[in-house]
Amino acid sequence: MIQVKNVSKVYEVADGQFYALKNVSMEIKDKEYVGILGTSGSGKSTLMHIIGLLDQPTMGEVLINGKNAEKLSDNELSSLRGQTIGFVFQQFNLIQKLTVLENVLLPTVYAKHKLSFNVNDYGMELLGLFGIAEKANSYPNRLSGGQQQRVAIARALIMKPTVVLADEPTGNLDSKTGEEILQLMEKLNKDLGVTITIVTHDKNVAHRTKRQIFVKDGEIVKKY
Amino acid sequence: MKYITFQLKTALKNFGRNKVRTILTSLGILIGVLSVVILIALGVGLKNYIQGEFESLGSNLLFVLPGKVIGDNGQFQGGSDSRVAPVTFDEQTYASLKRGLAIDYVVPMYTKSVTTEAEGQTKSGSLFASSSDLFSILNLQIESGNLFTTADVGKRSKSAVIGNKVAVALFGGVEGAVGQSISFSNQRYKVIGVLKEKGGGGFGGPSFDDGVYIPYTTSFIGLNPDKKFATIYLGVSKDGDVDVVKGQAEAILLKKYKKDDFSVIKQTEFLNAITSIFSIINSVLVAIGSISLVVGGIGIMNIMYANVTERTKEVGIRRAIGATKRDILFQFLTESVLLSLIGGVGGLLLAILIVSGVSRFFPLAINATSVIIAIGISSAIGVFFGVFPARRAANLAPIEAIRYE
Repeated sequence: MIQVKNVSKVYEVADGQFYALKNVSMEIKDKEYVGILGTSGSGKSTLMHIIGLLDQPTMGEVLINGKNAEKLSDNELSSLRGQTIGFVFQQFNLIQKLTVLENVLLPTVYAKHKLSFNVNDYGMELLGLFGIAEKANSYPNRLSGGQQQRVAIARALIMKPTVVLADEPTGNLDSKTGEEILQLMEKLNKDLGVTITIVTHDKNVAHRTKRQIFVKDGEIVKKY
Repeated sequence: MKYITFQLKTALKNFGRNKVRTILTSLGILIGVLSVVILIALGVGLKNYIQGEFESLGSNLLFVLPGKVIGDNGQFQGGSDSRVAPVTFDEQTYASLKRGLAIDYVVPMYTKSVTTEAEGQTKSGSLFASSSDLFSILNLQIESGNLFTTADVGKRSKSAVIGNKVAVALFGGVEGAVGQSISFSNQRYKVIGVLKEKGGGGFGGPSFDDGVYIPYTTSFIGLNPDKKFATIYLGVSKDGDVDVVKGQAEAILLKKYKKDDFSVIKQTEFLNAITSIFSIINSVLVAIGSISLVVGGIGIMNIMYANVTERTKEVGIRRAIGATKRDILFQFLTESVLLSLIGGVGGLLLAILIVSGVSRFFPLAINATSVIIAIGISSAIGVFFGVFPARRAANLAPIEAIRYE
């Protein structure tokens, strides 16, 4: 369902060109649990941003459910991003002035079509599933790191996306809380069939996924 | 609707988090709207006041004046064509009009500034030398004593009717004024009546309460030896046709004067010319007041740019979860318009408060135009000065925005 074909990302630098990604091809199938592993500067985050339609490749193409991202306008890209991709970031990236529930429901505000489910009920259901329903009306700064990341995951799931892209989801958490988040990811994939891709530099985290892709110097060096 | 509610709620939440900043930014617009609304209120108030003065004279009134007072464009004439014309009207003109027009009143008028003295007191005001019909045509009513009559005019009686304020200034009140002597321009007159208070006299117009009224024939002795009139009033009956009378009067006057040497002006023409002047004055006042609005708008723009920079990451997050450029543009525009409207409504409310207080002493009036201008201008400022920062926010690359620290 997500296909990356011969993608390169090139930046112009003082002494020529820098390839953040070099001719990368990969695929993420429905209900997969994939880890993209690489050291800092390997190009794994660039790959995630391109898969997540936050950035465009210099060459090559990205297809989401058969739609070529290159041929979409900025508005269409935004809509596709909102409908099909859920993001989880290392820094949680919650909007501090919105309550937990408002943060979770934020993607639905930007939905360009009428949603077939009651967003409030579903939001509360997700918060309940993650054990933070009682925090629905709290503000993010009143929550622990683990709780904030759960809110971020609930926000990533609210639009029932095709894939959840998680960039170092445990990077800002202590090991115990990180483990809880990983268990939650596994549960979402196993029990609810959510497609999850985790981008990480941590081998232990990557090994918790069912399939790993290793990125080094902008190239995919290994796939399992 | 839910979308708009959300954007408004978000904007208000942002303001709530930066209360001091919001108040200070809105203050610029508040001051701007306040000054514009007060200036408009001043213009409207003056216009209403002068219109009221004219209307109090009665609606079927024509003025015969020397020179071409109102131009073909309906506005007061300036320069060499203006009122300061060599022509003045005499008894013959008055008689011709009286003879040729089948109307209620033809009233000649000679006016002069005088200082009236009595019992060691002095009072400055206007002398109105006219016929006994003057009181009817100007709706002047007697409070004490009598008005002078046609007989008084015929025998050049040295009788005077005085305005209410003249009686108060010279004799300490209306009581006791009748029968007393007054003098001005080295002439003595006997007070035969005191008028009821009429008001008026502001902004260059004659004050009927400060006036001294004598038969025009009496003024020919000493005061008006040339026997000239500055104005002749024509009073048409309620069912009479003012336009027809105007045409007839012009035809009579053209036998003696050239076309541009006199004017026969309807009250509505006067009012239209006044309205036209006040429209210009109002526009100038609004333009002056608008300078502060522009300054306020720049303040909003400045804050909105700061907002965009501070919230770059937030823009990135919103874009990542599906917001389009248009959503971001709308969000920041909503904030700038709301910020501006808070100032606009605040300014308007404050202006209403000030106007309701001051209007007891000075003619100020807020009309629907002021309200529309206040709300319209503040919204427009919000859009105009908000659109540039909002566009900057909307055009942020999602990936750059989300990486912003």
